[in-house]
Amino acid sequence: MTGSEQGRWRRALRFWRSDVRQDVDEELRFHLEMHQRELAERGHSPLTARQEAERRFGELGRIREECVAIDTRQRQRAERRETMGDLWQDVRFALRTLRKSPGFALAAILCIGLGIGVTTTIVSAVHAILIRPLPYENAHELVSVYSQDRARDEHGVNISYPDYVSWRDESRSFAALGMWTWQALAFSGEGEPERLEGAMVTANLFPLLGVRPFLGRTFLAEEETVGRNRVVLLSHGLWRRRFGGDSSVVDRTIQVDGTPYRVAGVMPPGFAFPERGEAWIPFAVDPARATRGNRMYAGALGRLRPGVDVAQARRDLALLSARLKQQFPQDNDRWEAEAIPLREDLVGDMRRPLMVFLGGVGFVLLIVCANVANLILTRGAGRRREIAVRTAIGAERGRLVRQLLTENLVLAGLGGLVGVGVAAIGVKLFSQANPDGLPWYVTFRLDGGTLLITLLLAALTGVLFGLVPAFKGSGANLTTGLREGTGGSGEGRERSRLRGTLVVVEVALSLILMVGAVLLIRSYRALTATELGFNPRGVLSFRISLPRPQYPEEPQRLAFYTELFQRIAAIPGVEAVGSAQGIPQSGWNVQSHFAVEGRPEPRQGEELEAHYQYVTPGYFPALEVPMLSGRNVALTDRDTLNPVGVINETLAKKAFPGENPLGKRLKFGGFTSTDPWITIVGVVRDIRHYRLPEPMGPAIYFPFLEWTGYTQTVTVRAGGELTAVLSGVRGVMRSLDADLPMFQVQTLEEAMARSLWRPRLQGRVLGIFAALAMVLATMGIYGVISYAVAQRTRELGVRVALGASRRQVVALVVTQGVRLALIGVTVGLAGALILTRVLSRLLYGVQATDTLTFIAVPLVLGAVAVLATWIPALRAARVDPLISMRAE
Amino acid sequence: MGTTVTRPPLDLLQGTLDLLVLQTLSWGPAHGYAVARWIEQLTGDMLQVGEGSLYPALHRLEERGRIASEWRTSENNRKAKFYRLTAKGREQLQAETATWGRFVKAVGKVLRTTEQPV
Repeated sequence: MTGSEQGRWRRALRFWRSDVRQDVDEELRFHLEMHQRELAERGHSPLTARQEAERRFGELGRIREECVAIDTRQRQRAERRETMGDLWQDVRFALRTLRKSPGFALAAILCIGLGIGVTTTIVSAVHAILIRPLPYENAHELVSVYSQDRARDEHGVNISYPDYVSWRDESRSFAALGMWTWQALAFSGEGEPERLEGAMVTANLFPLLGVRPFLGRTFLAEEETVGRNRVVLLSHGLWRRRFGGDSSVVDRTIQVDGTPYRVAGVMPPGFAFPERGEAWIPFAVDPARATRGNRMYAGALGRLRPGVDVAQARRDLALLSARLKQQFPQDNDRWEAEAIPLREDLVGDMRRPLMVFLGGVGFVLLIVCANVANLILTRGAGRRREIAVRTAIGAERGRLVRQLLTENLVLAGLGGLVGVGVAAIGVKLFSQANPDGLPWYVTFRLDGGTLLITLLLAALTGVLFGLVPAFKGSGANLTTGLREGTGGSGEGRERSRLRGTLVVVEVALSLILMVGAVLLIRSYRALTATELGFNPRGVLSFRISLPRPQYPEEPQRLAFYTELFQRIAAIPGVEAVGSAQGIPQSGWNVQSHFAVEGRPEPRQGEELEAHYQYVTPGYFPALEVPMLSGRNVALTDRDTLNPVGVINETLAKKAFPGENPLGKRLKFGGFTSTDPWITIVGVVRDIRHYRLPEPMGPAIYFPFLEWTGYTQTVTVRAGGELTAVLSGVRGVMRSLDADLPMFQVQTLEEAMARSLWRPRLQGRVLGIFAALAMVLATMGIYGVISYAVAQRTRELGVRVALGASRRQVVALVVTQGVRLALIGVTVGLAGALILTRVLSRLLYGVQATDTLTFIAVPLVLGAVAVLATWIPALRAARVDPLISMRAE
Repeated sequence: MGTTVTRPPLDLLQGTLDLLVLQTLSWGPAHGYAVARWIEQLTGDMLQVGEGSLYPALHRLEERGRIASEWRTSENNRKAKFYRLTAKGREQLQAETATWGRFVKAVGKVLRTTEQPV
């Protein structure tokens, strides 16, 4: 009798006297009755005897409960010990069995490990971005509010200050509504000058988020006025880094943008806003900019009143917007407020790719399950005789199922361990995908939650793929089991069908994944192959922003920049220096609508819009953008009353079809606007200014001498080493203004690559899934066919003996495999046609039903499938009829 | 049940009761009722305690492995739960008997001494 059988015996015994309470009652009743009887014998009447016995006994109820409690505790402890003991024994037995077939165990563990690893990676990404709670109090109540123009499908647009005030004061949905806008801040004085992303925020913003300062205080309402707004809040990281974590920094005066600011406080660790911003000043609005039409502030952020949902807030804001439209037709005609739950706003269009990843990884996991089920079935077939024998000598079905399940769970557990390793690597790769534009609260890591999910997944796969074969395995009919084991009669029909189905499923799912991956990869290729219109190679770019107090007048700024460009141009190796307000793909985007001289005034909503910015004459040469006609902007273009501009190809085509645009004039705003007429002096080739795949629209470039802004994005083309040039540039900067920080220092190539991180990641992730799926499906086909060959050895031997040629045998086997693959491919194609439509919004330059993909992928998969059957087929062809017929 | 039973302090009682139970069981397996009767006879009802308190003591001793139980047929042909001393219980009995003896001796000595020690 084995230990575990003893265990079962003990359990069964206990079952008969199972109820603790009943036992205790029985024992106590025995006592009372014995006592009663004895007392009666000594002369008590039956009634008094009973009363006396009870009196002498004491508090029956309490004593009974105490005994029950003790016994229950004792039994639970014993049971736990026993279960653990049994489990451990089953596990040891399973490990021993697995060691006997290391090939099977290894294949299964790797399979499960890879599947679970990639799943956990994706789940942890999804968790990090979509599920992990935002680090704010009751974050579900938080809502972002922007402007929108539904007619033109423009969403998430900047807002104006008066609109914000109207929304704040006249809507009824918000408990509080704050406003913010991007604001980079330059820190100088102590230590290296540095420029940091941050924001201007209304005093109520941080309190409404529910974030309390780590040190000091947040802003006061009265600090929202110009003159009282020279206070700054620091992020915890900035405080540690720049001020050594010195708490006396609160109330100290420091230099920000060349102006003294008092430090109001330090925010708690981990807090950033917006995105990764780390310093904040109060939102003090310059009255000149606080006009209703001036939509230049990033957005509003509010907390809904308890019980109000986003839909209600949207209705409320829609009514309010309609009212504002009537009141201010000039400024608000196109615009209304748009409310988006904060999470949705932060996650943005990351949701779709994440869902695609999640779907993809689900497929991988299914394939893994199918594959492992197949492995187990194959092995189960080999073990049928063992199981049949064990059944014959009296092993119970339940016991066998449990043992087989334990074996599978042990496999799943080991696979899960491998999976955790794979996931750790996967998560690391994921975080290295350079995801800029990800919400700040996102950190990719394997945390307890995701590990728990992994564990559950492992257990689930263990049960899923284990259960079917386990039942099939244990349900072995005695005689067929014993007979089948001899290999004479081939595999049972039902089981062979099940295994075939599994392979078909694997092939179909792999095909879908491969099609999806190829589409995404082709899409990424198309993006990288996009004709940019400029040459990003060998260009260094950085930004500087002159502080207002030191450079209040335009001539000062002009003088500084002129000097800077000259000195940089003198650095050895520099071929061209240019500057613009924002370089391509940097997100810089200012547009306005314009009117063309001599044309009828366009109807409202039909005006042409153009991107515009001020550039230096060196800008186009530095990016190697050719002039198509006319001339470049020049250092002599400084007449602000008769300004000139260079337009791009698109604008030329749209506004002047079939005409020569040179010498024509246009003006921003309508004909009635007070802006001066702009004379077109040149046409330049289109450059892909917006983040791909967004197309380039009309654009117009003005000479920077007409207006020299504070901030410039300098581009330096150098033939040689960019690092050498960079240190030269730093030297120049130090000598010109040592307090002025350079920021966003990068090569243009880096910037391009970074801006494509998402399509790249999409292609890579699905590519990995597809590769994995293909390998697994190939393994599946190979396994099934080689098993079938092994089972049919005798039959094949007979065929050879009867004169079948080697070719005929190979064909016989290959046909079997190809048939499965063909069914799988057909099913997969149908699935892919339906499912890849989900991808269409992630695709660029390739259709979701791309013909090439839909032909090539099945061919490749088919070829691989044939290859996978070829090897067992050759083995079959080498069958020696004599040996095969003697076998077993 | 109505009747309040005056009980000596529980901790003292507990230890003593355990010891008495172990001692009674050292004579051979017995059910709770027999143990109760023996203790009553030998102590002359001195413990003044509801007999029922014996049962939690028995169950606790069983939980700690000092005694073991078994359902058997009793002298009058009824099913009863019999307890017997385990090896562990026997050890504890010996150890505690010795401790008890020393304790009684020490206390007795103090009580017999009439003069204050210098």
